[in-house]
Amino acid sequence: MVAITTELRDQLRLRRSADTSGQIFRGLLMLALLVAFASLLAMILTALTRSWPILSDRPLDFLFSNTSQNPDEAGVFQGIKGSVMLAAISSLVAFPVGIGGAIYLEEYAGDSRFSRLVQVLVRNLAGVPSIVYGLLGLAIFVQNLGGITGGRSVISGGLTLACLVLPVVIITTQEAIRAVPSELRQAGYGIGATQWEVIRSVVLPSAAPGILTGTVLSVARAVGEAAPILVVGAVSGFFQTGTLSFLEQTQSFFTALPMQIFAFTKQPAQTWGAHAAGASVAILLVVVALNSVAIWMRARLDQKLRK
Amino acid sequence: MSSIDAGASVRPEARNPVPDTPAVDNASSDDPSSKDSASAANPGAAGATGSSVFEVSDVSVYYSDFRAVTNVDLTINDNEITAFIGPSGCGKSTMLRTFNRMNDLIEGARMTGTLEYHGVDLYHEDVDPVAVRRRIGMVFQKPNPFPKSIYDNIAFGPRIAGTNENMDDIVERSLRGAGLWEEVKDRLKTSALGLSGGQQQRLCIARATAVNPDVLLMDEPCSALDPIATGRIEELMLEMKQDYTIVIVTHNMQQAARVSDRTAFFTAELDPNTDQRTGLLVEYDQTTTIFSQPADERTENYITGRFG
Amino acid sequence: MSPELEVELKRSAPAPGAMAIPSLSRRGWNAALEIALYCFITMLVAIVEFYAGGFPGPSNWLIGLVIYALWSLNAFRRSTTPSAAFVQLAVVDESNVAASFGRMVLRTVARGTVLYALPILVFANNQIVWIAMFAAAAASVAFMERGRAPWDLIAGTTMVESYGSEATESTGPLRLSDLRVDGLRQRQNQRAARMLQFAGWGAIIVSLLIVWVVASEAFTFITDDDFSWSLLNVEGDRRGWFPRRNFYDIPTLLVGTLWVTGIAMVIAGPVGLGAAIYLSEYAKPKVRRIVKPVIETLASVPSVVIGMFAIFFISPSVLTLFFDDIGSFSVLAAGIGVGILTIPLVASISEDALRAVPMELRQAAYGLGSRKITVALRVVFPAALSGISAAFIVGISRAIGETMVVAIAAGGSGGTLFELNPTEDGQTITAAMASLGAGTDQVAGSGIAFQSLYFLGAMLFLITLILNVFSDAIVRRFREAY
Repeated sequence: MVAITTELRDQLRLRRSADTSGQIFRGLLMLALLVAFASLLAMILTALTRSWPILSDRPLDFLFSNTSQNPDEAGVFQGIKGSVMLAAISSLVAFPVGIGGAIYLEEYAGDSRFSRLVQVLVRNLAGVPSIVYGLLGLAIFVQNLGGITGGRSVISGGLTLACLVLPVVIITTQEAIRAVPSELRQAGYGIGATQWEVIRSVVLPSAAPGILTGTVLSVARAVGEAAPILVVGAVSGFFQTGTLSFLEQTQSFFTALPMQIFAFTKQPAQTWGAHAAGASVAILLVVVALNSVAIWMRARLDQKLRK
Repeated sequence: MSSIDAGASVRPEARNPVPDTPAVDNASSDDPSSKDSASAANPGAAGATGSSVFEVSDVSVYYSDFRAVTNVDLTINDNEITAFIGPSGCGKSTMLRTFNRMNDLIEGARMTGTLEYHGVDLYHEDVDPVAVRRRIGMVFQKPNPFPKSIYDNIAFGPRIAGTNENMDDIVERSLRGAGLWEEVKDRLKTSALGLSGGQQQRLCIARATAVNPDVLLMDEPCSALDPIATGRIEELMLEMKQDYTIVIVTHNMQQAARVSDRTAFFTAELDPNTDQRTGLLVEYDQTTTIFSQPADERTENYITGRFG
Repeated sequence: MSPELEVELKRSAPAPGAMAIPSLSRRGWNAALEIALYCFITMLVAIVEFYAGGFPGPSNWLIGLVIYALWSLNAFRRSTTPSAAFVQLAVVDESNVAASFGRMVLRTVARGTVLYALPILVFANNQIVWIAMFAAAAASVAFMERGRAPWDLIAGTTMVESYGSEATESTGPLRLSDLRVDGLRQRQNQRAARMLQFAGWGAIIVSLLIVWVVASEAFTFITDDDFSWSLLNVEGDRRGWFPRRNFYDIPTLLVGTLWVTGIAMVIAGPVGLGAAIYLSEYAKPKVRRIVKPVIETLASVPSVVIGMFAIFFISPSVLTLFFDDIGSFSVLAAGIGVGILTIPLVASISEDALRAVPMELRQAAYGLGSRKITVALRVVFPAALSGISAAFIVGISRAIGETMVVAIAAGGSGGTLFELNPTEDGQTITAAMASLGAGTDQVAGSGIAFQSLYFLGAMLFLITLILNVFSDAIVRRFREAY
């Protein structure tokens, strides 16, 4: 008996110690994760170290100065302003249309041929490269509708970005609406609510955190996108500002933060590299902040569902 | 349509029209001859004492091509509790959901036959299902409070329908009516999801009564609850009988026996024409009669537990 | 109807005579909608004026006000306004009766004066003043007794939640008309459905526009007089992509695209998949909670920042260790940058696929005495294979479509020679488009060089569309599996 027990124990130990391939595999997986982490870290560190001459010397001045040919005076204020306006215009257009379209698809359209067609189109639109949206913006908003938008203007850019984030907004909203339990809808109908009342008072409040998460992430995407507005015609150099009224400004030349980074990287790195890195720090801060908001909202949603 | 007629021909009892006067002497079902399945005619014409709320005649419900319920005739009486019992898949929930047109929400669902509510055809093209559901409330199998405060759950219905009563009064009255007021009066503004399952279900009942309906439909309201909570709901139903007509679907035969005045027994049988199972009403009578002297052999088998 | 049926019914009909003061949020929505509506009308007017040769100024705000007033006339008959009807609010006068037409006009004029006209007329173009007036109006709605706004005080009216027919507590037989919903709610319901359907068309319009624009302009390119198919495949030692000189050598760009995509997937494939397997099979929930957000943050890093990272770090600090003569711009550096960008995409789609594998499969394997590595590689991985392949395809599609990293890090912005060596300058389809778009200042000009932009766009669109359809088909199959 004793012999058998020890033998068994040895076998059990053997199994445990012999799992070297498992350990190696696990190590490889962690290495993969490490690569992802390291690249993010290296990116942040690069941005910080390269922009240190500016960040240590004139951080606020850099944020609030206009574009200039003199590297010691140049700042990204126009880019920030342009990015804010782009984000605002694209949100104003894409959120109502996207959220409304998603509600229609989920709650009204049923399984009709129309809804299936839209579904397929939206899925494919989400996979179209962003620069192709730039072509759309260039042809439609800059050339065909140039009389209204003012050509290569912030309105054209904002509308182009709206088209870009529209499928993202639709898909995330649809997912959030689908996650609302059908029992809640039934409860609403059971009391005698119309379809719109059920959507407004039951479905949308329950889906709101998910919808908000999706919209916040799409704003982050719109803020970071450079390719479409590059094609639509964001100005990379210097332009007039100041005395124009708000409406006139929306129809005039514009730039954006990612556009400025692109322009800085095309200049000699010795003098302008710090500007590119500094603007990267600024845009990273915005994007990480938006992301954190989205993650926090989703965590709250999870908590609510668990309760 | 041909398949319906053909299918019906093997169940002549379900084709009989509702008699003009629903008042039939209960003693008729004591007649020994009614033990015979073929003569269990007019299962929907069980003796009525009060006035009728629903007159169901020759109702069949389809989900696309699937016929869920076949040729049901029955009369639901005012201020009574009517129980629908029967095995799974016999169409009793489907039948219940035709009373407030909840089936309209399911794509492909349609109904044939007539269903009159206080003499008005519920499926008339001018009738709005939304208005129907405000008069005919519903409580569901799983407690489904909105993820809002207790107060807002109750106030939901009155708010959308509009009311000239003070909202606080409505909330208090409804919660008292559901026996929940004492338990929650200090935390009306807290989330309804923090209540226990039984409390949630009573909240759902209170929510349904807040719009002052005429009828309450309950679809297995206790199947997700423990025995104590079930007991509370059953008591509540007996109290609410004074004010409402209640129709309840239950899997629990003891529950039907305890609370209901009338019981309808449904079963599912193979339709030889379509090779699909379809639900039909076997017997409808006073609960005491159903449970002591069922007229139909199938009812007796089900009640005594000998069901296939 | 038989006489027995004439019972006393509980006929507390919807009772829309209710005069409840609407909640703050309801009033807030109403105000926001009203302003949005007003701005929308004004925008339309501005557009018309623009075409008429004028320039948007204070006058069109006034015209907008007139149009809004006309729009309101219909709503006034029901004692509501266009925006208030949407949030189901109505206006009653001080004796709680639906406000008369005259009172509604008075109220709207007062409202227009307080909200819009005064600041515009007095302070013309000062945005700060507008904002201040709007804020003051909003504050008055929020804090005044019974939620009355200045314009309500002027007109002697109040906003209420609903109004309409008298409350009915009557008894008697039920009539068919009792089973109808009141008109306000029904109209609201129908209007909502219409508006939402309109939004649904938005997606269709965008899709059709993209296809139409890209296809028609690409067609213009290939039917241009200066165009010949031989330009797309320039033979000889001057082979390359030089649109200014009418050399449109597609193979040059294809080689660049293939290199970038290949290098990107060599990095993103193993790293993304490894991270996904770790997260779904090995990581404890606590670790997951930290790691997932970091990966998501990486996913949302703008591509220009990665481009900056490629030329400031990857090229000078990493690649020079392996290649002596590499410049600061190279296809290799761009490929690595795109790879980093693609990691989170591959990781998250693969992880979804891995987590969709039912727990029972894993438990069955563990129950047979398998080790973790066996379960992960022999059970979970094969079961999730179709989802993982979809992740790779989506990754490839993303890498092909990525623009800014390549435009910044690969060099060759003006044009590039045919080059098979990835440590040299190069261009991809997207980067060529970006430099065409950015460099061609006279965009509206119809030069064939500019039209080539659309030709490349059409190519890119087709390639990514095929990949997306392909991955969609795979995902659908894998969904059906469970």
